[in-house]
Amino acid sequence: MDELIEQIRLATAALAEFSVHLFNPTIRLGVTGLSHAGKTVFITALVHGLTRGGRFPVFEAMATGRIARAYLAPQPDDAVPRFDYENYINALAVKRQWPDSTRQISELRVVVEYQSANGSQRTLTLDIVDYPGEWLLDLPLLTKSYEEWASESLRLSRQRPRAELAKDWHHHLATLDPNGGENEQEALTAARLFTDYLKVCREKNYAMSLLPPGRFLMPGDLANTPALTFAPLDLSSEGPPPSSSLWAMMRRRYESYRTVVVRPFFRDHFARLDRQIVLVDALAAINAGPDALFDLQRALEQVLGCFHTGRRTLLSALLRPRIDRILLAATKADHLHHTSHDRLETILKRLTKDATAKAELAGAQVDIVALAAVRATHEAVVRRGRQQLPCVIGVPVAGETIAGETFDGETEAAIFPGDLPDDPEELLRGDKKSFRGLATTSSREADFRFLRVRPPPLELTDNGVPALPHIRLDRALQFLIGDRLA
Amino acid sequence: MTKTWRHRPPAVFRLDDDHVVVDAVKETGVSSRQPVQVKPEAEFDTLAITVDEPGRSSRRSAHWGTLFWCALGGLILLAVGVRVTDLIVDLLARNKELGGLALALAILATFSLVVIAIRETAGLMRLASVEKLRQRAADMIVSDDRVEARALVQELLRLTRRMPRLARGRAKLESHLADIIDGADMVRLAERELMTPLDQQARTLVSAAATRVSVVTALNPRAIIDVLFVLASALFLVRRLAFLYGVRPGTLGFGRLVRLVVVHLAMTGGLATSDNLIQQMLGHGIAAKLSARLGEGLLNGLLTARFGLAAIDVIRPMPFVALPRPTVRDLMNEVLRGFGDGEDRQRSAEANLAITEVP
Repeated sequence: MDELIEQIRLATAALAEFSVHLFNPTIRLGVTGLSHAGKTVFITALVHGLTRGGRFPVFEAMATGRIARAYLAPQPDDAVPRFDYENYINALAVKRQWPDSTRQISELRVVVEYQSANGSQRTLTLDIVDYPGEWLLDLPLLTKSYEEWASESLRLSRQRPRAELAKDWHHHLATLDPNGGENEQEALTAARLFTDYLKVCREKNYAMSLLPPGRFLMPGDLANTPALTFAPLDLSSEGPPPSSSLWAMMRRRYESYRTVVVRPFFRDHFARLDRQIVLVDALAAINAGPDALFDLQRALEQVLGCFHTGRRTLLSALLRPRIDRILLAATKADHLHHTSHDRLETILKRLTKDATAKAELAGAQVDIVALAAVRATHEAVVRRGRQQLPCVIGVPVAGETIAGETFDGETEAAIFPGDLPDDPEELLRGDKKSFRGLATTSSREADFRFLRVRPPPLELTDNGVPALPHIRLDRALQFLIGDRLA
Repeated sequence: MTKTWRHRPPAVFRLDDDHVVVDAVKETGVSSRQPVQVKPEAEFDTLAITVDEPGRSSRRSAHWGTLFWCALGGLILLAVGVRVTDLIVDLLARNKELGGLALALAILATFSLVVIAIRETAGLMRLASVEKLRQRAADMIVSDDRVEARALVQELLRLTRRMPRLARGRAKLESHLADIIDGADMVRLAERELMTPLDQQARTLVSAAATRVSVVTALNPRAIIDVLFVLASALFLVRRLAFLYGVRPGTLGFGRLVRLVVVHLAMTGGLATSDNLIQQMLGHGIAAKLSARLGEGLLNGLLTARFGLAAIDVIRPMPFVALPRPTVRDLMNEVLRGFGDGEDRQRSAEANLAITEVP
């Protein structure tokens, strides 16, 4: 019943929007990505490139000069904060710092005035939304009941290497009786321990991805509300929970989490997308080890399953917008030499194999690209004895370690991150022969070390910040909006 | 632990370390006392660029024909040589001065023949290389190979080096050679930068020729002059298009080029899918009802336009990927528009183009 009402709501919104878009073409570009995938930097670079005229040879409309101008316009939703583009670009160029991780949702509207290939003047509106990547993990919860979610979370937490991290929470869980009476204090403790466990999993050395519910990690303005005070229980019995039991309480709160948090989030920002770019930080997972990579694969599978993809038709545009182009982007491609980019793309292709097949079957176009929205390194060949290593040169951020060296954030270094295999299956074999990451070994022993690098030094001009260097951002733009600017 | 793929462990080199030499120049003088050398890559020049020979063409049966013509040509050359030697010897016996003059003339003739042969061969090779380039560009759109695409773009830049109107496009393209751009994108970029001005000019040439043919054949009373004029302007058109796209084929190459165009026209059957030829024909049928001469003229113009488009397909060093292929319909619209005031408008259009293209 809920589902039906939701669908009717979405259809009405779509109908209302359709008439507006008829006269004022709009693309809702979904920038999707788990936390630390680089959504904020991507949006900043994209907006900067469009409005200030970046160096985009592959983006046809801009390279041939058909875009007259692009500017920021007031966003459509008054209740959502504005994406703080000016601050972010300033931090990148002046302080040479990456933006902090996003804590709340924000929005930006870019209007592109262009001349179509046959000569008529047009405008295209681009709505872009930025949000904490953790929240994305909530979307799969829409189709799961409390019992399903609890058993799945428990199963995951008992696997390697999570079991070790979840020890405290498991101890506490063993003392709880799901059929016992409601107890606010027990619920608080359970939620706190569960949240701690999720937070540890997210740390750099483990880099786990599948950590719902997202608001536990990034609560926004809902911190300490009952909607965020629940945790999975070890349920043995089937059927409805006894009334006023701990189980019933947890279940009720899970349901309100879904209705208060997840559903509006989905409805407002994901249900009506036209184009989607999925940013994936595969390198962080490879840093951490095979378990993180498996986890990333599962998370991507679940998240991508929530989106409505397929060919755009009149009926779909009227009632239920579909995403007709998906770009899967392996971000931070500047952390490795360009000769390895193809391998990175193959790895991403392997990670998203099922979701891609499903989208293509429905008629959506899917492309895979290794990109860096802001390129922070340049390339070099290092000769050591008879070895030739293709490296990247950049300034690693303070605290990064590799092969026993720790960096202070000022020293420039040539980094060779380790050879990626041609066949991605080599990374995904779960046996003894698989590679070692930071989750199981020290930074000296790890098989791959992709270091985070500070933003590149840029000279400020009178007009502000010059064009940012990038890798394949123009190709991404061409795929995502190029056809609508034809 | 051994890896199943070739894996080198991660490494880092601080650029402020004494053991690390950041230098691109002192490559030869590096001894073993400086164990680590960092060579920044400004360009892709460091990469070895390999070019595969494309597979042998299917025209194997032509070998016997070639052999025959070569042998025959050799025989004729020998015969001429014997005659000339006889003549010179004869003349020398009669009169020393005359003999010397004949010898000088013979040497001059041989030398110029060699030069002509070299230029013809060069023309033929240019034609062949253009065919090869187009094939490679089409392959690269599929294979998306970065290194190959760069090699291809270098060759295109070499081919178009002498075209002043492409100076800006070339400069832009050269500035992007060092960027990280994938193969297919690079080919599209090159097509956009290098082919756009040429395509525009080619369109003007074809539609001008079609207009000329339409007008002349509509006004001209003699059928034989029609035929000659159509033929001449078609050949002239092919020649101009070839020079426009930088082929410069030479006489033999020109013959081969015309043959290629005719074959291409025959293979596509004069029917591109984007063209609604029947509609065109019908339109001209109506024109013919109004005036037999007018209809005839338009039909001739239409055929010339088709011929010109086939020639573009054969001569253009890149396939149409990023840019739209010109269609007969577009061109004929231009022809019809230009029909009223003849060539004046066409000229002014060409002049406008020339003005707009000055960077």
